[in-house]
Amino acid sequence: MRLAKGKKSGSLLMNMTPMIDVVFLLLIFFMTVSQVSQINRLRLELPKQSGTLDQGQAAMTINVGEDGQIFVGGDATSMAGLVEAVFEQLAAANNDPQRLAVVIRADRRSASRTVNQVVVALSKLGIQRVRVAVEAP
Amino acid sequence: MRLTSHKRVRGPLDLPMTSMIDVVFLLLIFFMTTTSVVRTERELDSGIQVQKQSAGKKASDWEPAIVDVLPAGGTFVFRVGGREVVTADELIEILRPFPNKADGAFVRVHDDVPFDLPAAAIQACKTAGFTAVSYVPFTASR
Repeated sequence: MRLAKGKKSGSLLMNMTPMIDVVFLLLIFFMTVSQVSQINRLRLELPKQSGTLDQGQAAMTINVGEDGQIFVGGDATSMAGLVEAVFEQLAAANNDPQRLAVVIRADRRSASRTVNQVVVALSKLGIQRVRVAVEAP
Repeated sequence: MRLTSHKRVRGPLDLPMTSMIDVVFLLLIFFMTTTSVVRTERELDSGIQVQKQSAGKKASDWEPAIVDVLPAGGTFVFRVGGREVVTADELIEILRPFPNKADGAFVRVHDDVPFDLPAAAIQACKTAGFTAVSYVPFTASR
């Protein structure tokens, strides 16, 4: 039996230019989106200070809005909910408060009452250091 | 004098527009995202102190630097010892001569002050040379 012989095709020309364009667009898109989602967990007017540290990885970010509302992981929560969330994070850090990096992002216009309450709650759970997020002027 | 008379006849100029549009769009997207969205965020390292300072072990004979951030007469002030100042620059000037920088500073924050001021006080302590700064909620220290 003779099988049909395929025709010899010429060299396959792939136009690389549009592919590279699309790949770069996607790369830039995902780079910016991931950066934005990391930085702006919640849009807040942070205190305008030069700060002492570059922004680092945090196990837990506590956001405090202008009206004193607490947000953890993008969701509004109460003080009890915050304590529960800290407990969960502590359990993930082998119950070692030293290993739990907490960042407080509080709106510059909000009264310090909520931050004070958060600090007292963290202190009761054995957390002795926090990082306060500021915005470079 | 005769000037050269040959002129080459050139054909219509072909500009490859596709790649130029690609580059322009890439630059547009890049500058749009970097200018409007990404704001440089930094951090202030701070300890938490809820108990009274006197309960702790005294590190030196010097009085520790305690900055109170509190409302006074319809405005908000920084109080160090008996001195009250309004701006962070004035606070830095007061804190700079303190000899016991290694003992750290304490920023006691009243409930009613806007959070901008405690952050400014922590920054001022760091700028003045204090290695460690503790955040003390004023309600807990009373």
